[in-house]
Order: sequence, then C-alpha cells, then structure tokens
Amino acid sequence: MSLFGATSGFGTGGTSMFGSTTADNHNPMKDIEVTSPPDDSISCLAFSPPTLPGNFLIAGSWANDVRCWEVQDNGQTIPKAQQMHTGPVLDACWSDDGSKVFTASCDKTAKMWDLNSNQAIQIAQHDAPVKTIHWIKAPNYSCVMTGSWDKTLKFWDTRSPTPMMTLQLPERCYCADVFLRMFCHAVNTSVSPNLFYNLIQVHPMAAVATAERGLIVYQLENQPSEFRRIESPLKHQHRCVAIFKDKVNKPTGFALGSIEGRVAIHYINPPNPAKDNFTFKCHRSNGTNTSAPQDIYAVNGIAFHPVHGTLATVGSDGRFSFWDKDARTKLKTSEQLDQPISACCFNHNGNIFAYASSYDWSKGHEFYNPQKKNYIFLRNAAEELKPRNKKMWQNRGRLPQPRQRYRGFVLWTKGGTCSNYGAVPE
Amino acid sequence: MGRIVIGILMMRKSLYSIKKRSTLNAIYVIRNCIQDLVHKETIDAVPNAIPGRTDIELEIYGMEGIPEKDMEERRRLLEQKTQESQKKKQQDDSDEYEDDESAASTSFQPQQVQPQQGYIPPMAQPGLPPVPGAPGMPPGIPPLMAGVPPMMPGMPPVMPGMPPGLHQQRKYMQSFCGGNMMMPMGGMMPPGPGIPPLMPGMPPGMPPPVGPRPGMPPMTQAQPVTAPGILNRPPAPAATAPTPQPPVTKPLFPSAGQAAAAVPGPVGTDFKPLNSTPATTTEPPKPTFPAYTQSTASTTSTTNSTAAKPATSITSKPATLTTTSATSKLIHPDEDISLEERRAQLPKYQRNLPRPGQAALGNPPVGPIGGMMPPQPGIPPQQQGMRPPMPPHGQYGAHHQGMPGYLPGAMPPYGQGPPMVPPYQSGPPRPPMGMRPP
Repeated sequence: MSLFGATSGFGTGGTSMFGSTTADNHNPMKDIEVTSPPDDSISCLAFSPPTLPGNFLIAGSWANDVRCWEVQDNGQTIPKAQQMHTGPVLDACWSDDGSKVFTASCDKTAKMWDLNSNQAIQIAQHDAPVKTIHWIKAPNYSCVMTGSWDKTLKFWDTRSPTPMMTLQLPERCYCADVFLRMFCHAVNTSVSPNLFYNLIQVHPMAAVATAERGLIVYQLENQPSEFRRIESPLKHQHRCVAIFKDKVNKPTGFALGSIEGRVAIHYINPPNPAKDNFTFKCHRSNGTNTSAPQDIYAVNGIAFHPVHGTLATVGSDGRFSFWDKDARTKLKTSEQLDQPISACCFNHNGNIFAYASSYDWSKGHEFYNPQKKNYIFLRNAAEELKPRNKKMWQNRGRLPQPRQRYRGFVLWTKGGTCSNYGAVPE
Repeated sequence: MGRIVIGILMMRKSLYSIKKRSTLNAIYVIRNCIQDLVHKETIDAVPNAIPGRTDIELEIYGMEGIPEKDMEERRRLLEQKTQESQKKKQQDDSDEYEDDESAASTSFQPQQVQPQQGYIPPMAQPGLPPVPGAPGMPPGIPPLMAGVPPMMPGMPPVMPGMPPGLHQQRKYMQSFCGGNMMMPMGGMMPPGPGIPPLMPGMPPGMPPPVGPRPGMPPMTQAQPVTAPGILNRPPAPAATAPTPQPPVTKPLFPSAGQAAAAVPGPVGTDFKPLNSTPATTTEPPKPTFPAYTQSTASTTSTTNSTAAKPATSITSKPATLTTTSATSKLIHPDEDISLEERRAQLPKYQRNLPRPGQAALGNPPVGPIGGMMPPQPGIPPQQQGMRPPMPPHGQYGAHHQGMPGYLPGAMPPYGQGPPMVPPYQSGPPRPPMGMRPP
C-alpha cells in the first residue's frame, strides 16, 4: 500500500513487468524501479549520508512534493514520507547527520524537514525561486546555503529567519555544489599530499554556476567568501556542476555541464591548466553518421562516484554515461530511455546509482505529456564505475585490472594522470 | 633518451623543473635539476642568460608570457635598426622618392601624430584626411582651393582609405582640408550614393574627431547642412582621432560597427546563425577528446567558440532541423533561460505560489487544502510545523480563512516576506531545538 496517496504503486521493486507494449522503452537498462514515483518531473535526487544506517533516497519533483524512500539491500524500495511545498521543488539535500532534509522550491522558500517528527518548517526566503540548497558543515559553523534566481546566495542558520550572510551573484544561480570533508569514505590517506596541488587550498569549497555562463568558487573555511570568479570553460548555458576531490579527499576541481552536450573538467589550481583542464562532448546523437544533423542534448546532471572518483552524466537524450576523467575515457553509455534523464546521484558508498526518467522541458511545452509516468531507477554502481586501467584511490602502482590489458606503452605518472600512448586494449 | 624521459618524470616535482619545463630545453632542465640535487645549490637567476633577463619567475611559452618591458625594448631595437637601414638607403639613393612609408609604419608603435604640416602621407590619399583645425589654421582658408577640385574626382575612391590615416595625419593636409571647407558642401552632396559614405569621412574628419574647434565655426555651421545626407556620425572617429588604429571600416559604418553584420533569423551567442553555419566550425579552445565523441568529425558544433555575448540575456537557439550536412541542432528551447525557468513560468506551476489559487496539484488527496484543516486520514502527518502557531497570528489567519482551496498556511505569509520570527517561537509541535544540529 503506497503511502503517497493517489499514485499507483508498481509493485515492490524488482524489475518492472507491466503492460504489453512492445515499444515500451522506459527502462531499457532493466534497472530497479522505485515504487510510487512522483507524479511530475523529478528535479533532484539525493541519498542519505553514511551517518544513517541503510540507504534513504529523497526526490523532489515538479508536483510540489519531496518524497523519501528506504532502499533496502535487496533492491526493494519502501516509500516512507512526503512533504509538500507550494511550488515545484527544485533541489533537496540531507544534513550531515541524516536527520534533516532541506528542500528548495519555486515558492521562493526553503524548508527543513525533520524526518523523525515528519515536520517541515521554513528556514529561508528569497525573492525568486530557490534553485539550489546545500548543507554546509564547516569546522566553525554550520548552515544551509541557498542559491536563487534572485541572484543571491544566502546562508541560513536554521534557527533564524534572517540569513547569516548574503552574497551577490552576477546572475541567476543555476546550479551549485558544495564539498566538505564530512563524508569520509574508505580512502587511502596514507599518501602525503602533493604539495603543488595544495599550495592554495580551497577546502571546504563551493562552486556556483549562474546564468550568462557565470562561474564562481567560494571557500567556506571560516565563513563563506568568494574565492575566485572563473571564466567559463564552456560556451553555452551552464546546467549542472559537481565538485570532485583528489586522493586525499580534498576538493580539487569541478565538472561543469552545459546545455550543449559538453562537460568541462576544471581544476582549481592545476600545475598546467592548458593540459589539465579539458572538455568532452557527451549526450549527442548520430555519432558515426555525419550525414544527418547531430542532435545535441543538455547535460542535466553530473555526479561523482564517492569512492572511484569516476563520474556519471545524465542527459536530455535519455541516456546516462560513466566517465573516467583521469584516463579521459568513457566507461559506459546506457541505452536510450524514452524520456530525458533529469537527475542522478550516487549513494554514500557508491554502490547505488539512481537516475530519474522524466521530461525536462528540453523540447518546450509542446512535448510535455502530463500522462507520461515518471520513474526513478536504481542501478548497481560498484563495478561499472571502476576507473579504466588504473585505480586512483587504491592499488597505486599495481598492474592494471585483468579485464583491461593494454599492449603498447602506457605512461604512468605519480600525479595520478595516465597517458595512453598509443596503447590498444587487448 | 629513455633515461631523460624518466628523469623528466622524476623531476616533475622539483620546483625548478615546474618552472622551466615548458620554457627551456628539457636537457637543460635535467642538468639543472641534477645539479641542484648534487650540489645543493639554489638557483635564483637563469644561468648564462643575457644580463637583464635573468629572472626565473617568468613563465614563457612560445610568444606568450614575455614581459611588456622586454617587448618594448625589442620593438625599439627593431625600429632603430630599420631607421638605420633607411638612413643608409636614403644616403645611397638620393634621387629616390622620399618614401617615408617605413617611417610611418614604424611610427605606428609610438603612435604620435607627427606634426608635419603639409606633409602628404604616402597612403595615396590626396584626399582629405580629417585634419583637426590646427591652431594655425584660420577658418577661412582660401589658398589651395585651386588644388582641391582636381582632387575631387579622386576622392571617392580614396575616402575609404582615409580612416586609418586619420589619426596619424591629423595635422597633415590642413590646407586641403581648408579647401574642402570652402567647397560648398552641396557640391559634395549631389553625387549621392557614392558620397554619403564619403561624407562621414570628410566632415567628421574635420571637426568631430577633435570636437568643436574654436577656429572652425564654418565647419560647425556646415554640419547641420550636411547632416541629413550623412550617415550617422560615426562615434568611432571621434574616439579614434586621439587614439590609434581603428579597423578600417569602423568609423564609416557605425551601424554595422559590431563584429558581425546583422544576421537575420535566430542567432547563436555570437550572432552567427545557429542553424545554417558553414560546414566547418572552429575548434573549441579546449581540446575535446575523440575518445569521448561518437562522431568522427569535429565539425558538428554549431556555434562558434568565440562568442560575443550580447548585452541582452536572450539568445535564440533554434530547434529546427537544418539541411546542411555537417550541422547539428541543439535540443533546447530558443531562449537562453534555463529549462526550469521556462517551465516555472507556466501558470500550472504558479498556481500555488503565495497567493490565492487552486490547490489542484495533480495529487489531490496528498495535500491538505486548508491551513486550518487537520491532516487527511491515511496520510501520515505531513503538515508543516507552522500550523499550530497559525491561530495566534491573526494577520496570517485571516488570509487562510478566506481561501478554501488554500494550501497549508505557512508558506504564503512567508512568501510575502514577513519576518520569520513567529514560527520559531511556537511551541510543542515543533521539533525540540535540541534536535537540530548545532
């Protein structure tokens, strides 16, 4: 029995088997379907932090709700609770202890949802829809950071109605990411940090991308302050951003996705920016067929695997792809779903990759079909996102994994990059 | 060679190799580093360098990164050399036409307007460089009028060439200028089509570039006469007279002064039409790795990498197919606002924002419909914690009671921006403060 009211439950997980439509392509990857998905497009997904036992998934949607499921190890998803806003929910995140969920909405507010009591209170107010929300737990303070289309970034103590700080953005906030050291995974920390990468530390760090291709990095050490405005490595509207970390769990750069099927990998302080920073194309159609015009889709979401450091991108074309940014190779691209994939995330240990299949408005209002169902899929991500021919985080110096041997000269460097000098997979 | 390669890798972490790796010979680097390791010497100056160029803090890659000072020095050196060679040449060929082209060209750098009165620049512009009224030039200059007419026919073809010479030859051709002044402007007007482009050059040349001159009242008076027939006074010449080197056509065609000509139809961020770009496009500045792309050609990107961002925030991206082979289409609505912004503008999604509206969200049973109403049975308590405190706050309470379809009350009042203090002072139903993370 679904707790979510009128939505029809599709069973209790497992692979979906319903309908007899032969052309049904809503789940070509045969991934686990989350039960009782929202009734309108899903805007954001977030898994619970490691401080909570088990896995809990929250999803915000354009149906003004944010829903929470428990994801069990056998793949079963159990709807747990739901909260409402008065406008579409655009972003959601967890607090570091897993007891609260923060939600940002088009109704220009952000709320804090206490899961234990299932109460939600408003904690933030903007003059325009709130597009991003992140929980910041820095050494000296904790707060909620909200980014809005009113061109401000506000930091809220949840106990006070006025923001602790307001930072002006050059333009409307489109996406943001925050990296703190709060989630500690089983990372090999015995290696001494590479001094050059740490000459200027931006840790903890926030990256905000705005309209008009604005890009700003903030350092959050004692209090949030603007660290650097970066000239965008992309030529089109920014859509999503995700910070990545280095071997010692410090944020070292970010991946930025645009509406033009392209992702830029940008390091904050690389030794050689021209070589270390790069962009790659993704989510385009007609790959090998150059006679037909190529369709270029927006990158709707980027997420980094918390353990492997590889990344996943999801696009309007209805595919997700896994990439290894250090080996600069693509690991996998999925089959095409019949709807765009609007959001994605990994759980805290990287075993689960969740992605949402719902319309993202990339073809405008005409292609919106309110009757079309929205889905959230869960996929086992432990194996598929392992880095290509080199493990960044573990097993440094060992031979490549058996499944990917190379003939030819592969240049190993200590800095963590691997150049493929004409090496050919066997 | 292998050893050196490994050496380079091993030395990657050395401070000096980082600095010098891209600028000096690699072998030299190794020698440096090994020396550093072996002799434990610190290097604070480039050994064996020209005095004055020993700075090790510089990062030079090809031609980039050379400090300004050194660039200037080099240029001056070059000038001197050419001037010397010119002098020699002149001494050698005394009967040769005094070609001052090289001098003029080298004088581009210092960009001073040489006060060489009456000097005819070799730019082949017997025409009328816009000479600002020189102090020594009385308004009613009579002489050389005779010289002007013969030049008239030659002027139109010459005019376009003028602007580059404008700044340099301000004081030249004063006399001719004066002659022009005296020419009835009407004399210039009739040859309409050819002249209008001319006109901006001529009169603007005279007064506007240097602003109203005290000694040029006739000019200023003449301006209104000619104004109708003249293209928009290009603002550029006014700006360029004192400053050097505008592009050739800029001052004459202010309306098309932007980098690209006006393009009909939807344009990309750099004013180039998105759906009909030529087959080849420029490579994006950052390398894209073929491994990633499924397309073999790299010419599929539609918009140029050098984007001139328009002042407005709206750029259009067409979603229509094109017929050209090597083009692509961006699956995105036309405006440059985010997909969410576009969607949020729909009335459907604005219905429940802080103002009265229907509660039809598509999942009716889920949301409670009144701020005062208890949660519906079967649905776990999902009311905001605000509901209990609502009654005490009469101003908010009044809102709700008037709106049956209204969603739980906490949101709208705060949507209107009232202070949020009240909710935080409410009592029991709210989670105890202790539960919040500090």
